[in-house]
Amino acid sequence: MSGKLRIPISVSRIGIALIAATTAIAGLALCGIAFGRSPGELLAILASGSIGSSFALQGTLLKSVPLLLTGLSVAVAFRAGVWNIGGEGQFLVGALGAFLGARYGVIASLMAAVVAGAIWASIATAMRLWRNAPEVLTTILLNFIAIHLLGYAVNGPLQEASGKYPQSDAVPAGATLPLLGNLELHAGVVIAVLVAVAAWYLLYQTAEGLRLRATGFNRSAAKWAGVNVDGQLIRAMAISGAMAGLAGGIELLGVTHRLFERFAAGYGYAGIAVALLAQLHPLGTIASALFFGALTTGAGELQRTAGISSMVATLAQAIVILAMIAFMRRGKTSS
Amino acid sequence: MKLTHITKRFGTNVAVDDVSLAFAPGEIVGLVGENGAGKTTLMSIAAGELAADEGTIDDRTSAGIVHQHFLLVSEFTIAENLALAMWGRDAEAIIRDSGIALRDVHRRVADISVGEKAKLELIKAVARHPRFLILDEPTSVLAPAEARELFVVMRQLAANGTTVVFISHKIPEVLEVATRVVVMRRGRIVADGGTMTASELAEAMVERRVSADEGRRRAGGGTAGGPPALRSSGLLLDRDGLAVHAGEIVAIIGVAGNGQSELATSLRDSLRGRVAHIPEDRARDGLIAEMTIAENIALAETHWRPRIAAQTASALIERFDIRAQSPLQRAGSLSGGNQQKVILARELERKPEIIVAAEPSRGLDIEATRFVHDELRAAATRGAAILLITSDLDEAFALGDAIHVIYRGKLSDRLTPAEAAERAPQLMAGVERRESGVGA
Repeated sequence: MSGKLRIPISVSRIGIALIAATTAIAGLALCGIAFGRSPGELLAILASGSIGSSFALQGTLLKSVPLLLTGLSVAVAFRAGVWNIGGEGQFLVGALGAFLGARYGVIASLMAAVVAGAIWASIATAMRLWRNAPEVLTTILLNFIAIHLLGYAVNGPLQEASGKYPQSDAVPAGATLPLLGNLELHAGVVIAVLVAVAAWYLLYQTAEGLRLRATGFNRSAAKWAGVNVDGQLIRAMAISGAMAGLAGGIELLGVTHRLFERFAAGYGYAGIAVALLAQLHPLGTIASALFFGALTTGAGELQRTAGISSMVATLAQAIVILAMIAFMRRGKTSS
Repeated sequence: MKLTHITKRFGTNVAVDDVSLAFAPGEIVGLVGENGAGKTTLMSIAAGELAADEGTIDDRTSAGIVHQHFLLVSEFTIAENLALAMWGRDAEAIIRDSGIALRDVHRRVADISVGEKAKLELIKAVARHPRFLILDEPTSVLAPAEARELFVVMRQLAANGTTVVFISHKIPEVLEVATRVVVMRRGRIVADGGTMTASELAEAMVERRVSADEGRRRAGGGTAGGPPALRSSGLLLDRDGLAVHAGEIVAIIGVAGNGQSELATSLRDSLRGRVAHIPEDRARDGLIAEMTIAENIALAETHWRPRIAAQTASALIERFDIRAQSPLQRAGSLSGGNQQKVILARELERKPEIIVAAEPSRGLDIEATRFVHDELRAAATRGAAILLITSDLDEAFALGDAIHVIYRGKLSDRLTPAEAAERAPQLMAGVERRESGVGA
């Protein structure tokens, strides 16, 4: 806000994030002891599997794309003081929307994903405004509905023509995301980064973003200052849902090309860890998503070469969430 | 029981400030004062629930306290709740001994009325036969008939030698039942006596803090005759009694808790257009503590760019003499007076046609108070219609072109400052019936 463009990330906040991330990796390394491996050995596998080769690096970037978008989804909602825990469901309906829109081309398909995610999140908003139902509960419950909706779709109306597996046919070739040059990376990488920059711009460079953050910090004071706090709730939830929906659409068009049960694979929930590690800052979310993307691909390598379940990546997420909540709490009580 | 030089602090806030008070058996003491005056804190210390920071308590007797909020298990029946308090005694016998009527002990507490819950709390306290009984706002949830019933019980207890302390801000009730009235304000005892009139009591309760020389009046009142800029017929107001013209300051005075907050909130939610609001609860509603001064000021703007907002804020910081290092300082790190100046800067920057200012100088020092008053006067001179809601009488007289008294959510007639000086104490105490027609 001074002369130059100011990116408001303070050094101490980055320090906190680094401590939390290091704690998570250390936790993973110590887990190795339970599997009869030395921590150093596990760290070496994690590193080589996530950033050790061009192939590994591309895998990390691919995993980071949905994490970045669901992380942004959580960051925008939490910034507005709306506890959208429904990224998983919004991700799934986004993918469903993208699948249904795929016949009209890739742009239309992604638009459908955005709209589907926004609508799914807005169901929770409507319940909030109509009956004051807490969105923490309604968004989680909507996740289960979305999971079963997808399950029904791939076992029923959208099942592949051969009727063999509970999955859909592949989307038409014209609707898949183009690859970048001769890499394995799809264009979703670029889209996700653009969305992160757009989210930063919205939150920190526009009047609407200012009001959204004000509502998140202190709803009552924002209301007295003339902010339409219900309007902020509606908008934040819609944007949040749209970003999670987009994540689902990109995953479908860029990676899987088909719908199947367990399609979301926890990306929605992982977004919470991504956003918290980034301390709800959109640009920090890019770094945070890369970290978790690397952890996920590294954990895949652990499973292949050391026989350690890739579920340990989830453990790392949990450690990060707990560490960040502990830091945030401390900040609250000391101020 | 005798309290000597009792002081209690919560952080930097002194809740009870060097209070000495002695009680005699058989007294019914009405302890009155506005919210935050320190009544409940003092009595919690007397009851032994809180430790005083300084001071001594002599001749401590068995004390019971009935709190404003209920300490009951909703899922249990009346009998079960009494069993929790007095194990082994028959619930119906306990109720009979207390002299308080409460039927059917097998009902769940969740299903009984608020008045009945209050009675149950009272029965629990009385059943222990305390020598010193404290009732914290016991009538706030009772119907008038139930309150009468409570007074009978209080008199019985006093006749048997119990000291009863009745915390309230309802003046007529206190005068009806108390044999002695103690008035607290800002942690101190400001009046203590056996006979007080309602108006003396009301005057003792509200603040007179603005220095006399500040009472200089603004030349020229409102443009009477023109259409009022602010008119309210909200649910709280029993008539279309409130009209504020452009260029005019209308003050609403009254003892806190008589509907002032509800009035300010309903105006916030109903008024449209260029309206400025100065909220009563500055700590909760004033500023976004986590955001910068520039961001807080910019909340009123339609368009916003960080750099321009910082420039605007810098100019306002200078003009409003806000003691801040930079417009990028967190608003929460400012002192109370400077926070209020930021709110004022933001709200007046809207070039408002209407200003609703609730307790705009509460907690501010003389200098800051004067600044706030000058800004409000200047805004009125520029043509804004200002509604000032205050519990500070001198503030109302210093600023108001016209004054209404609010009592139990109802506004009095529009009074001139001279009329208000004469009639306000009675109106605030609810002892003067409102007359029809204009003026007295």
